[in-house]
Amino acid sequence: MGPLAPNGIISENTNFLLAFFIGIAFGFVLESSGFSSSRKLAGIFYGYDAVVLKVFFTGAITCMVGLLFMSLFGWIDLDLVYVNPTYLTSAIIGGVIMGAGFIMGGFCPGTSFTGAAIGKIDAMVFVGGLFIGVYGFAFTYPWWEKMYMAKYLGEPKVSESLGMKDGLFGLLLIIAALLMFVVAEWAEKKFPREEY
Amino acid sequence: MKPLKLLALFIIPLGIILAAVPADKTRRFKLSADELLQEAGAGVQFISPDVIADMLVQKDPSLQLVDVRTPEEFEAYSMPGAINIPLSNLLSDEYTDILNQDARMNVFYSNGSVYANEAWMLTRQLGYENNFVLEGGLNYWFGNILSAQAPAQTSPNEEFAKYDFRKSAATALGGGGVVTTEGSAPTVKAVKPAVTAKAKKKPAGGC
Repeated sequence: MGPLAPNGIISENTNFLLAFFIGIAFGFVLESSGFSSSRKLAGIFYGYDAVVLKVFFTGAITCMVGLLFMSLFGWIDLDLVYVNPTYLTSAIIGGVIMGAGFIMGGFCPGTSFTGAAIGKIDAMVFVGGLFIGVYGFAFTYPWWEKMYMAKYLGEPKVSESLGMKDGLFGLLLIIAALLMFVVAEWAEKKFPREEY
Repeated sequence: MKPLKLLALFIIPLGIILAAVPADKTRRFKLSADELLQEAGAGVQFISPDVIADMLVQKDPSLQLVDVRTPEEFEAYSMPGAINIPLSNLLSDEYTDILNQDARMNVFYSNGSVYANEAWMLTRQLGYENNFVLEGGLNYWFGNILSAQAPAQTSPNEEFAKYDFRKSAATALGGGGVVTTEGSAPTVKAVKPAVTAKAKKKPAGGC
């Protein structure tokens, strides 16, 4: 049956419409979880607030469990689900830039929009920086192209490269996530911050 | 601490279930019976032996011949550059990369065209592209390409062009009665230029 759009069950346009509503819901959940506060977001790097880790990892393992079960029931063909191709060099460099920007700016791209939406000036400045980066990259793309396309790995799955079943890797990831949550909550108590 | 415990209580059992069940190995057919019937009826899967002969002579790298007969039959005779994927093993994982790709053109052949057609139907239903069937199979290949019969004197020019092409292709591919009388070593060298010149005419004859 699924995925809906590639199998022609819903049209591309319906797909975009659904994406629009899901996007709004995503923004709403981000804002109501406190993700529009740069102090709360940056807390993950200093240990006083691990809500970023908890929300995103809970989202990831919930989605993983849901997809694996739907695949098990024959509701979705995971081979047809789009996976971002991996370009190792640009993934590492991009990760470093994104992480540095996160620490310095206190937002990641999505949360900066939630912050800007409720009128936070620092978030608006961050969004401005985001656009400068996007356009800067686009206009100077030929300079980076070789590095950008380097070390193409296709669409590797961790479970495949470890030679284990998807389900088993899923269980290990769930346990790893829960252990991280325990450590994060310990850190929140260990490095408390009075007011933020 | 409470929400974390709740989450753990809920999600760990689900994870254990996922780890315990076997991985989903079933393959779902991607084409409906109607769509397949339409394609099979139109005969879109068939590639004329003349086209294959031309590609073989030109050493076209996009051509991948796939012998779907048994390994014994494959050992006894196979077409140049062919690989053996017995029909009974067609769906095994080791062949997926060969059958499901968009770079090369796989052409199935068997003695007739029945088994090759079965292979095509299976791969097509799985949604794989670029798989074809050698029209007429090896029987036609032997009878009409490797040992082409001269057309009657009154035949149209196209028939003669086709015959000329088939004869030179047969020599280049080392088949047919012609080669056995001449020996194999010199024929390859001798024929190559003649074939490339003739090859241009072939599509007109073949189609």
